[in-house]
Amino acid sequence: MKRTPTVGEILRAKGVSRRGFLKYCATTASLLALPPAMIPRIARAIENARRPSVIWLSFQECTGCTESLTRSASPTVEGLIFDAISLDYHHTLQAASGEQAEAARHAAMEENDGGYLVLVDGSIPTGNPGFSTIAGISNRDMLMDTVKGAAAVVAIGSCAAFGGIPGANPNPTGAVSVSELVKDKPVVNVPGCPPIAMVMTAVLTQFLTFGQLPELDKFGRPLAFFGKTIHDRCYRRPFYEQGKFAESFDDEGAKAGWCLYKLGCKGPTTYNACATVKWNSGTSFPIESGHPCLGCSEPGFWDKGGFYQPLSTGHFGSGAKLAGAAAAGVALGVAAAAAGRRRQAKITKEA
Amino acid sequence: MDLLEFARGPALQIAAYVLVAGTIWRLVAIILLKEKPEFSEPRGPGGLGAALKVIYTRAFTAPVFKKATLYPKILGYVMHVGLFATVFLFVPHIVFFQGFLGFDWPGLPNSAIFVTGVVTVGTAIALLVRRMTSPVLKLISNFDDYFSWLVTVLPLVTGLLIPIRFGIRYETLLAVHILSVALLFIWLPFGKLGHTFLVFITRGTTGMAFERRGAKT
Amino acid sequence: MTSVDEIPVQVVGQHGNVRPILNEIMHALDRLLESDEPTIIDLAGLPFAPGELEELEATLGTGELTAELDALGSSRIRETAYPGVWWLEHRNAHNEVVGRYLEITRTPEILSSQEADIVAGRARLEDRIE
Repeated sequence: MKRTPTVGEILRAKGVSRRGFLKYCATTASLLALPPAMIPRIARAIENARRPSVIWLSFQECTGCTESLTRSASPTVEGLIFDAISLDYHHTLQAASGEQAEAARHAAMEENDGGYLVLVDGSIPTGNPGFSTIAGISNRDMLMDTVKGAAAVVAIGSCAAFGGIPGANPNPTGAVSVSELVKDKPVVNVPGCPPIAMVMTAVLTQFLTFGQLPELDKFGRPLAFFGKTIHDRCYRRPFYEQGKFAESFDDEGAKAGWCLYKLGCKGPTTYNACATVKWNSGTSFPIESGHPCLGCSEPGFWDKGGFYQPLSTGHFGSGAKLAGAAAAGVALGVAAAAAGRRRQAKITKEA
Repeated sequence: MDLLEFARGPALQIAAYVLVAGTIWRLVAIILLKEKPEFSEPRGPGGLGAALKVIYTRAFTAPVFKKATLYPKILGYVMHVGLFATVFLFVPHIVFFQGFLGFDWPGLPNSAIFVTGVVTVGTAIALLVRRMTSPVLKLISNFDDYFSWLVTVLPLVTGLLIPIRFGIRYETLLAVHILSVALLFIWLPFGKLGHTFLVFITRGTTGMAFERRGAKT
Repeated sequence: MTSVDEIPVQVVGQHGNVRPILNEIMHALDRLLESDEPTIIDLAGLPFAPGELEELEATLGTGELTAELDALGSSRIRETAYPGVWWLEHRNAHNEVVGRYLEITRTPEILSSQEADIVAGRARLEDRIE
């Protein structure tokens, strides 16, 4: 493995003062959702961290995740890409294409064998390999080949983490998530459609800072960001408790910023950091903009009923089936009554 | 399929079918039964008026029993009113009903529902204690009484746990709550909880029979 | 319209998220007075309704000292009207806010000249003299 400079060395070489470095550490702590008391430890860790090689693979995806990451402001993605990580392969962002690009991927894999990170956006088709290929290589083959020497894999976005839209019913391509194929490497899921850029960078920063992956929940998501529901951290929560709900998108309740539960908000069952980290450089998040949470960071969110159907709506199937049950009840009742009448007649006769 | 999806999908669906079919089964079977033959001259018409009168008068305790039954009577009323409020005035529940009824009604703030729920569970426990300590009640109670109590209280308890959490995930608690409701749905038509839909029918029938036999109601 | 800041936002209703923070600040001041223990509150980690951050900032006001820092983008370190309560706002090179903190301390650490910088500065001075 070639000797890579530490982040401390990179920053000093760029003429960044210690004050600037402290500021960088403070924003990193904030980014990692770590308590500010951790800043000195972070400072020590970052000082000595070496930038890891990153290979980004894009499969059945819409590039929304890359858009989200490259539009992120903190701590500046350019800074992250060029200073903190060495992004050696990303077919949307890199200048090289075709064989040169593939050569870059192989070179990065060889040079950093056992130490590089693989980031994946998009799901992987398991049906016909021709559904999605890059340089003539099927997505599945490229993934399995690339993760062989990886330290860890980060599944970026709901498609890579859970199958996403391609994996939604009826799943024509047989799309699966990264974790369904990669079993022998640690896989971190950063779901969302798209995921919050800050969460993506935080996972990378954590790896860079402490050389380890963050603590994960049962769906493989970093607990620091996916440990609480949108509902738990929503500024409109007091309205939920008071029973004040918007009934439509343009009523007085909606204008007064009341709870969107009745309009289908999936906040109570959605684990993500939107309510505090927010979007567009901290401008707002969907609920703040007056729209219910769609639950995009949860597995199978496309197939969990209507976006505008309240959470507590039952899934009863059709009214016809209930009518069928009622008809069955009538039939059973008539039969029971007939039996009862026969018994009654017998008793009367005996008496 | 995770637990919540199972609970609000197939589990609730099947429970709803059982509830509808079972309720109609029992109602039809009872209504279609042959009336008992009258062996004596009727003392009164025994019509709807008699039925309504008994439904009304039986809502209160007869003066002679007032002292003996005041405590359980109050508890019973508090519990039933509490059940009504927690089931029908909690906004997420209203949204649930709106899902298949198509209309809604105003609800109460969550904190009010929470307090009501706690009071309701408290009265249910007090009533159970009475059932288990009173020698007479103990004798006439069977499995049906205890099981019906359990399936009624479980949704209340599981519902109250949701906001408290105890470190358990919301979806898990919600799923358990819905499953407990499914159990209630399945049991309701067949056990003593059938009084939900039979109470006024039986009282009315009793009233009509009483009037025909000339009993004072 | 060139930026999201120009979209008129009407703030309606009170959500009451400011008061608990003021309470927390008061307790932090107690700790500072009693045991000299500083506290840092990361404002990015708290749920705010639209307008509440501004409400908090306005409530705390501006005190006697405001410092500008130019390192990896600009930063503003301002003592609020309540001595010992500092409002720190870090911006990146694109002038976007990357962090907001309340520090309850006598002097925020970032205001002090840092050992490494002093050493480097001394070396520069030495070069100049020679």
